[in-house]
Amino acid sequence: MKNPYEVLGIKEGASIDEIKKAYRELVKKYHPDRYMDNPLSGLAEEKLREINEAYDYLMKNANNNNQRNQQYQRQQQYQRQQQQQRNTGYYGSGFANDSQFVNQVKMMIQNGNLAQAQRMVDSMPNRDATWNYLQGLLFLRRGWYDRANAHLQRAVQMEPSNIEYRDALSRINNQYTGYRQNQHYYRGGYNTSPDMCNLCTTLWCADTMCECCGGDLIACC
Amino acid sequence: MFGYITPDKPDLRICEFEVFRGYYCSVCKSIGKQAGHRGRIILTYDCAFLALLLDSLSQTPTAGEKKRCMIHPINKRYIVDSNSAIEYSSDINILLAYYNLKDKWQDEKKIFGPAGMLVLRRGYKRVKKRYPDLVKNIEEQLNTLFELEQQNCESIDEASEPFANILKIIFKFAMNYDSAGETLGWIGYNLGKWIYLLDAYDDIEDNIKSGSYNPITAQYKYNEKEGLQSFRKRTREKVEFVLIYCLSEAEKAFSLLDIQKNKSILENIIYRGLLTRTRAVLQIGASSNEKSV
Repeated sequence: MKNPYEVLGIKEGASIDEIKKAYRELVKKYHPDRYMDNPLSGLAEEKLREINEAYDYLMKNANNNNQRNQQYQRQQQYQRQQQQQRNTGYYGSGFANDSQFVNQVKMMIQNGNLAQAQRMVDSMPNRDATWNYLQGLLFLRRGWYDRANAHLQRAVQMEPSNIEYRDALSRINNQYTGYRQNQHYYRGGYNTSPDMCNLCTTLWCADTMCECCGGDLIACC
Repeated sequence: MFGYITPDKPDLRICEFEVFRGYYCSVCKSIGKQAGHRGRIILTYDCAFLALLLDSLSQTPTAGEKKRCMIHPINKRYIVDSNSAIEYSSDINILLAYYNLKDKWQDEKKIFGPAGMLVLRRGYKRVKKRYPDLVKNIEEQLNTLFELEQQNCESIDEASEPFANILKIIFKFAMNYDSAGETLGWIGYNLGKWIYLLDAYDDIEDNIKSGSYNPITAQYKYNEKEGLQSFRKRTREKVEFVLIYCLSEAEKAFSLLDIQKNKSILENIIYRGLLTRTRAVLQIGASSNEKSV
């Protein structure tokens, strides 16, 4: 086993809070949902397993079994929920008729068998929402993002009530905005320091509160 | 490659900047050794990034010393000692620069094409001898790219595929027998796509003027009545989506690598430098005041 502190990216002897914080961020970073449409999802899973092991080990040694278990259970529960969603809700909603077919194509995409998946998608008789959805996923996995986006959008347009399609579309949009705003843990990202607007409203708010209590923070207003 | 992969310099610490420049200089030196001193002019930041990334996967600590070099004779500069990552990157730089000149000659008949090719010819032959399979695979992709451009391919996804594959091949080859190979390959694929499209967006104006192929004007059907500005505006969001998505995928792959050193510099490039560069090209339209370190 690797040094658990190294795995979590913290200093040796870090406090429990620090361990938890690092753990939470890493789980978010390597979460299966984030790697769902990515060819490297297997590696991400492995990494998450490593992180979980390191966390468990540290928490066990921190003599804090209670908390560890709670946290661990919550994590397990979450993962199970996700798993269930993936197994049932993911495939279930929307198509009663050809869900088997859709599942098969999706499995192929996940396993990287893209040529076969493309053949199956091509064989579909109708260019309906399902077709657009599958074609979109296929393009996404291949790295053809422009077309993937167009197909997924069309799928949602054609069948706006389908949660599965909307999920896929919002997933790519989230990834897009996520990177743009640099959410993923680079020295705290872009928006860490307070901007001028924030500063003014805070001052104004403090002034108002002072006035409520009979004092005054800023005399001129 | 075109030198789009750079760090966000204001956000880099001075010691980090020195190390990055150390890699850059070292790649330059290595090119000098392989292709002669005149060949050094082709150096790009992209290959400095490649050297930095590949070297960060090995556990040996970065070593280097302050030295003088021909290009900057006044001050001594920190130069990283040559290693396999740096040699590989400099070979790649020679290879890509050679193809770039060849392409320019075929496209625009610019006279420095053959002149440059003559200078690089020796280096190119050496590289070809050293990695015959790699060069063969890259040249196959280049042929596909050439055909797509000839056919005036109307899809930015399709047109960017060969170049993305070239970078995938290059990145993957460096760690071919390692699990990191796949991860590096995916970084390369997405960065390649990003570079190709960013360059295409940057070149819209030039390509319209010279009448040469541009995937963006081909897909989104530029017509002269519309004017350049409104065309740029119309396509900006669409292109931006693909560009940023490429970067986010590259970032995801990058987080899976086992980085041993220089992590903060790499993170600066992956999370900030690339984004800053994208914004600069999309908003201003041209990467202005480019300056060598």
